Amino acid sequence: MKPFLYFALAAYVVAAIHSILAFVNKRRAFERVSMASLGVGFAAHTAAIIIDWVQDGHYPLFYLHETISFLGWTLVIAYALALSRYRAQALGVLTLPLVAALVFVSNIARESSNLLPGRDPDGSAAWLFPIHTTLLLFAYAAFIVAFAASVMYLLQERELKLKTFGAFFHRLPSLSTVDDIGSTSASVGFTLLTLGIVTGIIWSSARSGRMWHNDPIEFFALITWVLYLTLIHYRAQWRGRKAAWLGVAGFALVLCTFVGAMLLGGYHVLS
Amino acid sequence: MSIILVGLNHKTAPVEVRERLAFTDDACAESLHALVDGEIIREGLIVSTCNRVEILTATGNERGAEATSRVSDFLSEMRHVPGAMFSPHLYTHSDSNAVRHVFRVASSLDSMVVGEPQILGQVRHAYSLAVAAGTAGRIMHRLVHSALRVAKRVRTETGIAASAVSISFTAVELGRKIFGSLKGATVLLVGAGEMAELAALHLANAGASRILVANRTERAAHILADKFGGEAVDFQNLTAHLAEADIVICSTAATGYVITPEMAGAAREARRNRPIFIIDISVPRNVDPAVGKLDNLFVFDVDDLEAVIASNIREREREAERAESIVESEVLQFDQALRNLDIGPTVGALRTRLQGIADEEYKRQRARLGALTPEQERAVEHLLKSTVNKISHPLIHRMRRSYDTGEADNIRAWRESFGIEE
Repeated sequence: MKPFLYFALAAYVVAAIHSILAFVNKRRAFERVSMASLGVGFAAHTAAIIIDWVQDGHYPLFYLHETISFLGWTLVIAYALALSRYRAQALGVLTLPLVAALVFVSNIARESSNLLPGRDPDGSAAWLFPIHTTLLLFAYAAFIVAFAASVMYLLQERELKLKTFGAFFHRLPSLSTVDDIGSTSASVGFTLLTLGIVTGIIWSSARSGRMWHNDPIEFFALITWVLYLTLIHYRAQWRGRKAAWLGVAGFALVLCTFVGAMLLGGYHVLS
Repeated sequence: MSIILVGLNHKTAPVEVRERLAFTDDACAESLHALVDGEIIREGLIVSTCNRVEILTATGNERGAEATSRVSDFLSEMRHVPGAMFSPHLYTHSDSNAVRHVFRVASSLDSMVVGEPQILGQVRHAYSLAVAAGTAGRIMHRLVHSALRVAKRVRTETGIAASAVSISFTAVELGRKIFGSLKGATVLLVGAGEMAELAALHLANAGASRILVANRTERAAHILADKFGGEAVDFQNLTAHLAEADIVICSTAATGYVITPEMAGAAREARRNRPIFIIDISVPRNVDPAVGKLDNLFVFDVDDLEAVIASNIREREREAERAESIVESEVLQFDQALRNLDIGPTVGALRTRLQGIADEEYKRQRARLGALTPEQERAVEHLLKSTVNKISHPLIHRMRRSYDTGEADNIRAWRESFGIEE
């Protein structure tokens, strides 16, 4: 439903702006406005997704615009979860503008979408397809939060090491907090990614008997998976700066997965 | 009524001048009596700290200039200092400027270290001295209470006092930046020293639960450990204890490096890369600067801590700008409240109004009286004037009472009943 999505976009923009203002001015009042409008935006966004689902009669993760909008939605959830656990409002400075941008792009992309016959989830194990995509989008949202935490870690660590205490020093949460956010969301993301890949493989083999399609999205997903596996496995040795750089690299791979899917085409076409 | 403030501070006067003018508590009480004569100066309060001497007075309307010179003479007499010595350093503020100055001083915006908390207590103390001496009246009560409230607002609504400006608090602040909470943190003291002990004390207050003390002389280690309820540990086995510590405070008299990159690296590995925050307050330094280049090891020497403090002071100054706007709006409010209370103009306006009515009626009826001798004419005018005065006298008396008891509502009601504009 378009009006709902527009309304959600407006609320997200307000939330993003106030989150940035709260960060720059360190005012709690801005944080409250940001949280309130984020809540309103999320409600409208959820309504838009449900109405789409009911009206179109298919799970709202088919078209590119739906996928982007859904990613924004999962990102809000991931941000809210991180916030409830760590009270690191500064995360919003990176994630909320991204949420707003995703919903904006989704609004634009909506015009030019059409259903691809190849994506029609008929046949056996069709119920697996929504699970596959939902899991993966939640995984990517978790990776984005991990990325935001990693960037915050690197900025803060740099200031502590160089002893140049600029604007970030007084505004970012503690190193151990962002380190913790980064590693927790990377672990959560990794678990979801694993499950998402497994369900994808099962669905694909049930549908066409093939597990692997030499598709760019599959390659990137695999590399991402290996990278996060490494990150989690070597967690103890690579705590801190190295882990943060891996968090950034993981996000780059997530971006490649999306961009690759759009530009290179293949089995996992999102249009 | 008028508020006059005469004073000097660390910005306008060198310490040689400030120390000559400073008042002890005893001198303060005595001097307040000498200052407040009830005629020119009706109320008085003296704030005297090592950074400032401020004489705050309330005077009658239009008596500002007299009051200023009186305060200056008073300073010279009381402190036995020739006026020429301090008068170039004096500043004088009147009315809303004086109010603004008092608010800024109480909020620590005028302090050497912006946001330092002592000044508020000093203002409160100055006020209690004035109350005890009986020289604080209605204006001082209002002004000081407002100033304390403004100071509280500034403290809670801005970050003016949020960041640390001393070495030991900076250690706590940096510890929090690295570990989040210091609850349950382990602190290792290597060597002893006043500053190290102070830092350890602040860290313990911030939640650090375990304190280890390593010293070349075991006895000294035990003494210090007992002081903090900590444990004395073996100095020779420093690497092992480094691995236990989240925060290390180094202050030995050693001339070489006590903590080397090898030791720090081994300790870090033993604690699975959890960060170690090392504070090196010894000169010459005890921690090899190369230690700070290792990941997850954060080393701060005295110069680094000073740099943090400098940055915090800049941050406080940025916050101070926000505080200034709070002060500004409070000054406006205070002015308004004071004007509402000020009786002088109302009394004048009331007299003029009643006299105007009498004059007008006389003018209308004058023709009917026919020719009057100049004496008769004067008698009628006198009759009217004294009637007006007799009527207005109890009113004005009642108004002054309302004013004295601070009943602004009553004064407003009087004004409205007689159609007097503020």
